Amino acid sequence: MTTHDDTIAYDAFLTVSAALTGYNAAELQATGCAAEYWHHVQQVLPEDILKKFLSPAPRLGKKDDDKIIRESYLPDRCLGPVARSLIQLWYTGQWVPLPQEWRENYGASRFDVVKIISTRAYKEGLVWDAIGAHPQGAKQQGFGAWSLEPPKQRGQADDRNS
Amino acid sequence: MTAIPDDERCYDVVIVGAGFAGGILAKELVSEGHSVLILEAGEDHGKTWETYRSYLDQYYLSLAKTPNSPYPNLPTLPSPSVLDITAVRGTEPDTNGYFVQRGPLPFGSNYLMAYGGTSLHWLGTSLRMMPADFEMQSRFGLGVDWPFKYDDLKKDYERAEWEIGVSADAVEQTPKALGIKTSGPKDSNDYFAKDYDYPMHSIPSSYVDEFFARADGMAIEVGEDASDTVHLKVSRTPQGRNSTPRSPKNGQGIPVGDEVRKQFQPRGATGPFAYMGQRCEGNSSCIPICPIQAKYNAMKTLEDANHIGKSLMETITQAIASKVELDENGRVSGITYKKYPFPGVPQYELRRARGKHYVLAGGAVENVTLALASGICKSSDELGRNLMDHPYMMTWGAAPEPVGPFRGPGSTSSYANFRDGGFRDKTAAFRLEIGNWGWNFAAGSPNSDVARLVEQENLYGSALRDKLYHDVQRQVRLGTLVEQLPRSTNRITIDPAYRTPMGEYRPVISYDLDDYSRAGLAAAYEACVRIFQRLGIKNHTAYSPSDAGYFTYEGKGYTFFGAGHLVGTHRIGTHKSNSVTNDQMRSWDHDNLWLVGAGSMPTIATSNPTLTLSAMVYRAARAITAAVREGGAK
Repeated sequence: MTTHDDTIAYDAFLTVSAALTGYNAAELQATGCAAEYWHHVQQVLPEDILKKFLSPAPRLGKKDDDKIIRESYLPDRCLGPVARSLIQLWYTGQWVPLPQEWRENYGASRFDVVKIISTRAYKEGLVWDAIGAHPQGAKQQGFGAWSLEPPKQRGQADDRNS
Repeated sequence: MTAIPDDERCYDVVIVGAGFAGGILAKELVSEGHSVLILEAGEDHGKTWETYRSYLDQYYLSLAKTPNSPYPNLPTLPSPSVLDITAVRGTEPDTNGYFVQRGPLPFGSNYLMAYGGTSLHWLGTSLRMMPADFEMQSRFGLGVDWPFKYDDLKKDYERAEWEIGVSADAVEQTPKALGIKTSGPKDSNDYFAKDYDYPMHSIPSSYVDEFFARADGMAIEVGEDASDTVHLKVSRTPQGRNSTPRSPKNGQGIPVGDEVRKQFQPRGATGPFAYMGQRCEGNSSCIPICPIQAKYNAMKTLEDANHIGKSLMETITQAIASKVELDENGRVSGITYKKYPFPGVPQYELRRARGKHYVLAGGAVENVTLALASGICKSSDELGRNLMDHPYMMTWGAAPEPVGPFRGPGSTSSYANFRDGGFRDKTAAFRLEIGNWGWNFAAGSPNSDVARLVEQENLYGSALRDKLYHDVQRQVRLGTLVEQLPRSTNRITIDPAYRTPMGEYRPVISYDLDDYSRAGLAAAYEACVRIFQRLGIKNHTAYSPSDAGYFTYEGKGYTFFGAGHLVGTHRIGTHKSNSVTNDQMRSWDHDNLWLVGAGSMPTIATSNPTLTLSAMVYRAARAITAAVREGGAK
């Protein structure tokens, strides 16, 4: 792969990740984990499957995202399990191994094991932001912050501010 | 056979175990000018900030963030793990983990073998016992009375609260203020000495606590007597974590024990970066690790002991006490230990530590296995018996609105109302702890929620994000801590068939819940259900016969876990026929041997045992000091 191809594929990875997670590409980049997740996914997936996984990227980010995800990704025997593992990777920093049946059909990788990718990956799991908290053991909110009213849900906070 | 080499130096006191008890004892003894050696089986986690940081990283990377997960679990020095707990079936013991479980129920508690001991992963709850807890036999005809009363321990409670650095307000903590209908009419009088107060102000209540406080005043019947009905009240829990030091009301200071103390100076982290970490910053990971050490751990007291003691204080880590040796008069002549240079490698050098007095401070289980292996403390036949814990049952549900979980210390408040009362003749007392971390302990949240929503509810994108907020923000959890009575059949033994790779005996445990505790758990579950009904919480609690800790009571099934509160195995008492030590924790059988820690407690009651065991250490320290001086005069 040339550097140029790599960059296109990486952008596609971010685009697909954004559609699957509900966080935009800039937010995903801001975790500082995008490169290592990209590296991990490349290690786990055979090249042709990775290519297939990223191929809808040019059509994403417009108005048909739900249709594309619901039709091309989630029910697909090959791409569905990959999408579900990738969503969980972004949300928890932990790789969920692909099902046994998937490995038999599409190829096993020795990197396809349950693992928290890195200490940063744990701390940057999107779940902590989604639930209105902070990663346990990191990004502490300060003395007494636990007494305060919890943050509003994202969309609702936006409505209130606008 | 070659002779075991003696250590060159003979100390005034040799202590086995560098945890809560060993730390306070060492500090007290060196302050009196005695020389002290601590033998610690585990590794030193606190020597450098980098070491401690590495344990934090291990926590981040652990798939199951259990209490022991940040710390090394050496194959040669195994600590019990909650992951090892399975149901005990048939007649074969369960040998999955370090404990050999004979059942009928699994003993679900753990502890940590390391410098600092289990204080590294404790929650920080620092409750005093109730006056009734010392008089269970006299008041209810159950269990045993302690050889002393609440009043006799009061000053030592003060000392322990100031050593640990407990955050609470005395005015909120009397039995009356907690909403407890005490079994004795005067139990709330003078619960705290005049002008006494905790060193730091109370830790602020969580938003979750405030939600539960909406049920305050609700009447809950417990037991058969209408006069036992209690009125719910959420009360803040005294905690061993830094908040804001209290300014003494007058210039005189605050009376603590027999002295007057100036304003408390909170201690941060140990090691070269000691300035880091003052007040609790809400890392929400107290169990298993406080990243900034705002939560007390025994390394702080051990650091004081090193500082005060200088050349009087010596600690040898990676030294497993293996046998307590006696001379012809039944006095302890030495403790042989296995000093291992490489953690995890079963190679060691056998050495002997010598002192005038010897103290076992390795916790309620390790003290017993060492004593049993050494064939000591036999005359009462109580050694290893009366093992108690707080069977811990969780009740969880979904609140009707966001309550802000996963922020702050694991628990900041509880319903303390059920800690004593007339009902206690038939039903065990209990405390309902309010959890601040959603269904973390109960169901592995929030990771389990992500898995469920992605794998089963087929959500993705912003709908997933929003549903996570919706579900997790509503998660509430109550934890029941119920008392157990001392039972001779709940016991620790040893068996030559079960040893560690270092050749030490593994604890063999027989354990069960009696109907008294089961009745308490059932009453607690009923109270939780009523609280849920009152607050509109949808009950999601699920107990399954496949759970390791599943049990039944009056036809209904429940599940309990261990609380990590290991108590009672070498209890104090009034006579060598009914106890392992006297009320100063001195062995009845061996004049210069002492056993300290939660194993000394004759009953467990409803308070997490750390504060009480710490207070009792002051009592032992005075007696040991006197004994060392007496010995010197001879």
